Amino acid sequence: MAVFRPWKLGTASKTMTRRRTNGLGGILLAASFILTASGVARAADDEIEIGMATPLTGPAAESGKYGEWGAELAIAEINGQGGVLGRKLKLVIEDDQTTNPGIVAAFNRLASNPDIAVFLGSVRSTQVHAMDPDVRRVAKPVFIGGTDPNLTHMGNPWFFRCRPNDTYSAKVIADFGVHTLGFKKWALVTSTDAFGSSGNKLLTAELSALGASVVTSQGYANQTPDFTPVVLAIKGSDAEVIGSYFTYEQDLGVFARQLRQLGVRLPWVGSPSITDTAALHLAGPALWGTYGIADFNADSSPEAKRYAEAYQAAHHVPADQFSAWTYDAIHLAAIAIEKAKSTDPKALREAILSIRGYHGAEGTYDFDANGDGLHGYNVVKNDHGKIVFIKRVDFPPP
Amino acid sequence: MGIIFQLLFTGLGIGAVYALVALGFVLIYRATNVVNFAQGQFAMLGGYGMVITTVTLGLPYWLGILITLALMAVVGAIFNLGVYYPLRFRSFLPVVISTIGASILITNLVLALYGPEPTTLPGLTDYPGFSIGPVFFDSQYVAIIVISLILVVLQYVFFEHTLLGKKLQAVSQDKEMASLLGIRVSAMIMLTFVYSAVLGGIAGILVAPILFVSVGLGAQIALKAFAATIIGGFGDVAGAVVGGLTIGVVETLGAYYVSVPYKDAFAFLLLFLFLLLRPQGFFGEKIAEKA
Repeated sequence: MAVFRPWKLGTASKTMTRRRTNGLGGILLAASFILTASGVARAADDEIEIGMATPLTGPAAESGKYGEWGAELAIAEINGQGGVLGRKLKLVIEDDQTTNPGIVAAFNRLASNPDIAVFLGSVRSTQVHAMDPDVRRVAKPVFIGGTDPNLTHMGNPWFFRCRPNDTYSAKVIADFGVHTLGFKKWALVTSTDAFGSSGNKLLTAELSALGASVVTSQGYANQTPDFTPVVLAIKGSDAEVIGSYFTYEQDLGVFARQLRQLGVRLPWVGSPSITDTAALHLAGPALWGTYGIADFNADSSPEAKRYAEAYQAAHHVPADQFSAWTYDAIHLAAIAIEKAKSTDPKALREAILSIRGYHGAEGTYDFDANGDGLHGYNVVKNDHGKIVFIKRVDFPPP
Repeated sequence: MGIIFQLLFTGLGIGAVYALVALGFVLIYRATNVVNFAQGQFAMLGGYGMVITTVTLGLPYWLGILITLALMAVVGAIFNLGVYYPLRFRSFLPVVISTIGASILITNLVLALYGPEPTTLPGLTDYPGFSIGPVFFDSQYVAIIVISLILVVLQYVFFEHTLLGKKLQAVSQDKEMASLLGIRVSAMIMLTFVYSAVLGGIAGILVAPILFVSVGLGAQIALKAFAATIIGGFGDVAGAVVGGLTIGVVETLGAYYVSVPYKDAFAFLLLFLFLLLRPQGFFGEKIAEKA
């Protein structure tokens, strides 16, 4: 049983490194890669390295920064408590450029460092799919935030998910929309990437199981500058409610504004991106009154509240799921290393799968045999720009 | 019926932005025989200029526009001196690669200075728009279409009815002959870069309230604008405008009536058809090289 630890900030920053791949950074990166490969730049013996591939550039760079902050906060807390097995943790970051080739390159650069024991992968399912072959080859634990259910069901034993998968998100969206709000006719707006496609498929199935129907299903390519055709299709349908899976906040912001401008006032229940800090900022009043499911909400548990307060104090922005899952992932990695009493990959894998009842910022972790740690979501409402907790829905692990 | 008018209006609005950036492509191509792949970054800089002046510094919107456009003129001049001028006697390819390098540099400089977060920019007016029957006219889209039309008319008057405009045309047609006639070719080319950067800046200012301001703003527009220049007839001013509007309308109608996920494909399918069936575009002449 893990214990939530009070944090002590400021001790870990000296041990953290960040590498960017742009311009001069690229040259430095190449130099550090060579040094790392030759063993010259190995971490000090008393440090356990954790690799993190995250978007520092590209359309998801803002959420990538939040993820980095969450991981850094956890590292600071753990090192403030004396580290793990008497050794400090060190975060090594690579920019995945918000692209699939980018994360493959970033992961391989990290994996070339034999001192890295555990990795943090992407929050985006499409990128996790791209990493899959290399993760199998490297054969070390990788914590992920991508919510496509297939990610932990495709035979890769090294993925461990720190967010609830979309089986649960679809169940909660459908259940809330049909049973609590009472709507039977749905319009779905989903990205055409792996995350959105999977969400569309699962939500359609869940709605069907509850006797509701999808009257229009609108897929869109990421980075779409204009959603007028989507909005008009919804407007022309007899939908009573909108369900959505948006990958990027920018797309969500453009859609929300055009939806309201073109006079569509339907209720809207969205996947977690609808509650993101960035989405709230970009869309503003266009998102007021919408419902969302959120794997992280500060009011969902005492642990979440304590985390949110620490994050807010450190960075002066509200915590969201992009930072919460990386925060939990680092703590879970620390617990697993403590339990395994080593950084041996197989021992770590067994230790992670044995974690039960750990109360993290995202919820209570009970890892199942597939590597899924969480099995429920929070339902929230956007009340004039403020995210208000409605209820927590948890399902028993399979 | 209302739906098609709504789609046409939105398509023309987005198309007008493509047209503005495409005009920048065309003007520089006509003056230098070079494609400037940093034209989209000019739009991105215009958006950031407005954020800095109106949001960060709190200046009035009109003053923000003036300062931003003045800064864009400076950017155009520096771009000419740093990217084009040193390579002006080289062949097409090194100069094009130089503009690609400049676009990467500009993007990364903005990224380093202002970070990756997209940010909002208020529109030209607080007035959201108006409805005529079932069609909603977003005030920002109306502004985009009206301002683009005004700019096209002003550009026509400038090129066809002013001495400076005729000098620019002379330089674009034959630099050596223009030089023999006493026209200062390098000054004309400088003016072209300055004007193209300002045009890009205007496109950025107009579209930023809709698409938000981010380092990816320019890339989002530039690819379609480049396609617009080819469809219109590379090097043709009227063609750039018609090409931009055509792409905007085709992709919007295609998205609604056929498939939203393949929205971008419609624009590039149109480009493919033009390259196959009418490579000179709407208005281009069927010649391989300029005289």
